[in-house]
Amino acid sequence: MRGIQLSFNKTQKLRLDKALEQLEYFSSKLNSNAIVTVSDTIPVNHEDGVLKGHGTMELEGEVVATLCGVVERVNKLVYVRPFRARYKPEIGDIIVGRVIEVAPKRWRLEINFSQDAVLMLSSMNLPDGIQRRRTAVDELNMRTIFEEYDVICAEVRGFQHDGCLHLQARSQKYGKLERGQLLTISPYLVKRQKQHFHHIDQYGIDLILGCNGFIWVGEHVEVKDDMIEDQTNKSEQQNNKLSGLASHQNQEHNYTPLELRQYICRAANAVRVLSTLGFMITVDKIMDAVEMSTSKNLNIHEMLGAEFYVLVAEREAERRSSSSKKR
Amino acid sequence: MEYVTPEGFRLDGRRPMEMRQLRAEIGVVSRADGSAVFEMGNTKVIAAVYGPREVKNRSEQLNDQALVRCEYSMANFSTGDRRRKHKGDRRSTEISLVIRQTMEACILTHLMPRSQIDIFVQVLQADGGTRSACINAATLALADAGIPMSDLVTSCSAGYLNNTPLLDLNYVEDSAGGPDVTVGILPKLDKVTLLQMDAKLPMNILENVMQLATEGCKAVANYIREVLLNNTKQLEFRRGV
Amino acid sequence: MLQSKSFVRKTKQGKVVKVVREHYLRDDIYCGATFCKVCDVSGARLTPDASNIIVVDTNVVLHQIDLLENPAIDYVVVLSVVLDEVKNKNISVYNRLRAICSNSLRKFFVFSNEYHKDTYVKALAGETPNDRNDRAIRVAAQWYQNHLGSSSCVLLITNDRENKRKAIDEGISAETVESYVKSLGKPELLDLVVQPQSGDVNMEEVEDLRPSKRKVIYIEHKPMSEITSGLLRGILHQGKLRVNRYNPFEAYVGSESIGDEIVIYGRSNMNRAFDGDIVAVEILPREQWQEEKSLAIAEEEDEEEDVHLAPSSADDAPRVIDAKQGSEGNTVPARPSGRVVGVIKRNWHSYCGSLDPMPMPAGNAGVAHALFVSKDRRIPKIRIQTRQLGNLLDKRIIVSVDSWDCVSRYPSGHYVRTIGEIGDKETETEVVLIENDIDARPFTSQVLACLPPLPWSVSSEDLANPIRQDLRHLRVFSVDPPGCKDIDDALHCTALPNGNFEVGVHIADVTNFVYPGTPLDDEASQRGTSVYLVDRRIDMLPKPLTEDICSLRNEVERLAFSVIWEMTPEADIISTRFTKSVIKSSAALSYVEAQARMDDSRLMDPVTADLRNMNTLAKIMRHRRIDRGALTLASAEVKFQIDTETHDPLDIGMYQIREANQMVEEFMLAANISVGEQILKHFPLCSLLRRHPSPTKEMLEPLLRTAAAIGIDLDVTSSKTLADSLDQAVGDDPYFNKLIRILTTRCMTQAVYFCSGDLTPPEFHHYGLAAALYTHFTSPIRRYADVIVHRLLAASLGINKLPDIFQDGTRLTSIADNLNYRHRNAQMASRASVELHTLIYFKKRPTDTEARIVKIRSNGFIVFVPKYGIEGPVYLTTRADKGGEWIVDEHQQKVKKTDGSVSYSVLQTVKIHMEVVEPQPNRPKLQLTVI
Repeated sequence: MRGIQLSFNKTQKLRLDKALEQLEYFSSKLNSNAIVTVSDTIPVNHEDGVLKGHGTMELEGEVVATLCGVVERVNKLVYVRPFRARYKPEIGDIIVGRVIEVAPKRWRLEINFSQDAVLMLSSMNLPDGIQRRRTAVDELNMRTIFEEYDVICAEVRGFQHDGCLHLQARSQKYGKLERGQLLTISPYLVKRQKQHFHHIDQYGIDLILGCNGFIWVGEHVEVKDDMIEDQTNKSEQQNNKLSGLASHQNQEHNYTPLELRQYICRAANAVRVLSTLGFMITVDKIMDAVEMSTSKNLNIHEMLGAEFYVLVAEREAERRSSSSKKR
Repeated sequence: MEYVTPEGFRLDGRRPMEMRQLRAEIGVVSRADGSAVFEMGNTKVIAAVYGPREVKNRSEQLNDQALVRCEYSMANFSTGDRRRKHKGDRRSTEISLVIRQTMEACILTHLMPRSQIDIFVQVLQADGGTRSACINAATLALADAGIPMSDLVTSCSAGYLNNTPLLDLNYVEDSAGGPDVTVGILPKLDKVTLLQMDAKLPMNILENVMQLATEGCKAVANYIREVLLNNTKQLEFRRGV
Repeated sequence: MLQSKSFVRKTKQGKVVKVVREHYLRDDIYCGATFCKVCDVSGARLTPDASNIIVVDTNVVLHQIDLLENPAIDYVVVLSVVLDEVKNKNISVYNRLRAICSNSLRKFFVFSNEYHKDTYVKALAGETPNDRNDRAIRVAAQWYQNHLGSSSCVLLITNDRENKRKAIDEGISAETVESYVKSLGKPELLDLVVQPQSGDVNMEEVEDLRPSKRKVIYIEHKPMSEITSGLLRGILHQGKLRVNRYNPFEAYVGSESIGDEIVIYGRSNMNRAFDGDIVAVEILPREQWQEEKSLAIAEEEDEEEDVHLAPSSADDAPRVIDAKQGSEGNTVPARPSGRVVGVIKRNWHSYCGSLDPMPMPAGNAGVAHALFVSKDRRIPKIRIQTRQLGNLLDKRIIVSVDSWDCVSRYPSGHYVRTIGEIGDKETETEVVLIENDIDARPFTSQVLACLPPLPWSVSSEDLANPIRQDLRHLRVFSVDPPGCKDIDDALHCTALPNGNFEVGVHIADVTNFVYPGTPLDDEASQRGTSVYLVDRRIDMLPKPLTEDICSLRNEVERLAFSVIWEMTPEADIISTRFTKSVIKSSAALSYVEAQARMDDSRLMDPVTADLRNMNTLAKIMRHRRIDRGALTLASAEVKFQIDTETHDPLDIGMYQIREANQMVEEFMLAANISVGEQILKHFPLCSLLRRHPSPTKEMLEPLLRTAAAIGIDLDVTSSKTLADSLDQAVGDDPYFNKLIRILTTRCMTQAVYFCSGDLTPPEFHHYGLAAALYTHFTSPIRRYADVIVHRLLAASLGINKLPDIFQDGTRLTSIADNLNYRHRNAQMASRASVELHTLIYFKKRPTDTEARIVKIRSNGFIVFVPKYGIEGPVYLTTRADKGGEWIVDEHQQKVKKTDGSVSYSVLQTVKIHMEVVEPQPNRPKLQLTVI
């Protein structure tokens, strides 16, 4: 089985297979004949005129797929929506990325795209929150904002004329992410939605489903007006850290309660399990899985065991059967 | 030595025109963008694809197309005698180049400018026909990574022993010293992208042997397509809507 | 259609290497019964009229192959496991079995049980491979029984008691070979059954024949493990045993480990090894070397030497025992002697010969034991059992060897078939052919199908072909022996306006009809050469090609491959060109005719003029060649006149060589050399050439000794010096020089074919012709080598593509080896045929004639009879009182009477009487006595 390197016992295997079979049954009613592999011919009605989109090309008058995926048709446009592929940015996407380089006036971020993304200093709200021209001093202090290997959240601004992908972070909700886990999954498992920031109140955790397949699970941070001050504090902290003077006060501030950390782990493991099984990642499903793990009294590490995988798969099957019945 | 009995059986019980059993699995390396294991009988090859990603060495960056790189290696335990195989010997450099060129021919590199695609193939078990298996594994891994390709590349070898063209030589037949023709084709476009042989063979026989190998490639292509289709279906129904 | 499961087999070999092989099992292997309803019957062989379907086990095949070859045995299923085992144990039996299986007249079917999903068996833990294979055979037999059901009865034939018991336990009917053959009710088949060795099944059935003889005669062979370790440690030496053709009690083992030949004296030291066996030898202590030798001489007594044809090269000549060692006892011999301690690989096959005369046993019906004497003296007598002794006593028969126990003096074997009556010309000729492995069967229909339709003539397409030059206008003629029908060469010679001559050699264009890869080509390459016997010719190519289509006959248009030179009157070659052509011979002359024309000064016709011109050129060329150091060697070829009715020889005489012969020969040599240069230039790695190695000192040793004894000094440092000293060796009588040349020729090895890629250019040298390279181009009708050379030449001119085999060095080498083998065998057969006819000739004509002594022996000497080209011993004393009154002087090569009254020395002329005597019935031999 794809990606799952676990030893299932016989009953577990049977159950998993059954659950997956059910899933197949529900989805086969949909558009299974629209699935193509590389070099398959896509049937089109040439009289209507065809616009060939992504993942297609023309060969001897036929439209041929260049990717494995699902054929989508929007009016005249025909394109193939691939499954496993790198992230394909669209303007306005909320993404999570990791700084890999601090360059003049910009940060470079790894966002699972075919190139690194660029976050300009100018597309970034300054810590003091004032709108002004960026000075040389600001440029020198860039590291106080983001350093290498920081995980940050941003929005896709668009492609520059040189083909570079630019990001922006002009809101308080964007910025550095701390005290949590970054998970990378295949981008096709994240659906573009209105809401990508989720605050799970009951556990006190934040969940950011980046469109690029980077998922952040972390301690909840209030997006308040005093955020500005908060951030100044943080930068101070970092300065302190760098100088090696870790004050007691800072330690206290960095401290995350054990319970909260456990919830973060549970949520992260839930994402791992779901993505390994290849299920679409939504907040509901993650929370559902977390709840299931607690209700079954499973330890955090047991969530990655065979049994839990089977349970999640069965739950998914159940969910889809009920939703299809509703229809 | 008799490689084909008068009854028409080869040493391992196949007939001359038969291939070994094929098996393929997609998604075996979790960290890679695309990966696959491909088996032809006892030959087993793993391939992993990373990318398209930022070009590591800026000076190699191409502004109009993607950079394709390939690294081939053989596991120490892949052959009968366990020998340390140092990287970068002539043979592996040559095969790396062969695989790179073959794959480059089908990847639509112009769609991914300023990026790089890395293909790593490693032979886990060697029993003849490693070159072909590597190419087939790499094709699967590329398709898995969602890299646009004009066609699948499939490869198969054929040889000529005891005056008989033989499809898909295993190690024993390969080391018989006869000609070994490795063919790689683009099945949809019906084009040959790879043709290798390091022996002498008369033209008319070469044509027959090549024809046989091409048939083999087509059979491999059908199998690979089936595997890919299955895999895509799986992804589709698992994800749900 | 492929339903495969993959299995893993592990084998460990030597260095502990794990080998994993796939093994596909399938369901599309059919049973081969025509009446089977489930299986595909397209290749089926087993018809429903079989009473039993027989499954044989490996040992039955290995030992009873002669029985299986008998057409009375049919409906046999040969399992692939059996085939594999047979192949590993004995490749020649395997080939014979394969031949039976592929014979469409026989009902033998090969069942690939190892690949069938129901009959494949996996070795159990602790099971030996033998047991596993036996089980596989039983499983397959069982499968057959179940598969065919009641429609036929499957019978497993095995001589292994244990296997038989298990088979019967498992419900398979099983029998031993003997009981099965007995049940067939054909007593003559029983002769073919090999008696099982001790340790096999029916020891209780075979009573020991001669219990009194049960004493160990030979030393037990060492076990294989000990031999292997002995070889590794260098105590033992491995090599192929070669028995001296003229003294079967002496053998040589060429050992790589000591780089020299080990001599083995006597049967007990040979320890049951046959000629051609791969043996392990132990070297005897140095002081024993001498003593062993005397032993051999002592043993030699009961063998006697025959009169035979004078040898023409060192390959045919008897090996010389270093006589010096015999006389001067104190010198340490140079050659180590040894003893065989084990046989690594047997070279047993079937042998031609007859039974030792013996009285009929009391009851003719019973089983008799007889001793078989092979025609080949290197083979010891073989003991056989027969029920038809009375029938066989005066017949030539074929016998094959089964075993040689250390308690028995002779190996035991079994009767295979009868050839015919001893002494009958047909029979003896067939014996000659069999002995020399010559295929005299008529050509198969597939081969004949490759011939062009008859009557054939040069077509307009041939003429229009741009590669073919029209040379019909040339005055071409051929010179051959009288009555020659396969004319493969013709000549022309035109005076050019500039005073030069255009000389052409036109060779039959055989490759225009024999295409590579056709059955015709395969057959010709197998036969290698035509064989000329006294009364018949065995053609390499079918008769229509040999005598008509290719033969460059008088007044017909024929296709040829031509070599055309422009020569100055001094016979310098100015230019050479090669072309395919069409010619029309204007005269087919015999040597005698050509000679007569040249000699007859009144004749002034154009052909005669051409002949004379050519002769002049040839003489210059010949002279130049001799100056270069070519040897004028001589051989004692004889010619028979055969009665057209009875085919019996009427007269016998030396073959006379005329100037015309030499003229033709000279141009053929020149053509061969020109072609050799051309093909080597274009194909340096895959040309077929002919070389003649320089003789070594040891080979010339007997010649030098003989020469020294009569006071002639031969300088053998190079072929040139040798040729010169031969020229100077003129004795008092005219034949003396020729005799010396004959003796010299005898010391040389024969020239051999080889592939140019296998050797370095200096080794290409042809010693006898003093040419840097040489090949055969001029007789494609009767030699396959020439066919190959034709193809090479055509390819070098861009006329044809080079056939595939030239790209395969090993195959080309094996072809060259086969050609050498066939060539040699053909010569041996010709000689044997001449010997046979000589015997027939002298049967009715006791003759007195002159002879020359060529070698001195302790009890007589060997004489050479120039007139008849034969050589044989003359005994001065009877065997009993050997060495009594005669003294041998080795140094002067003289034998003297003790009182000094009579002495014979080497090269002396003696008068002898020749007569055919029959010391034993049906064993005629030629006897020579001094008068």
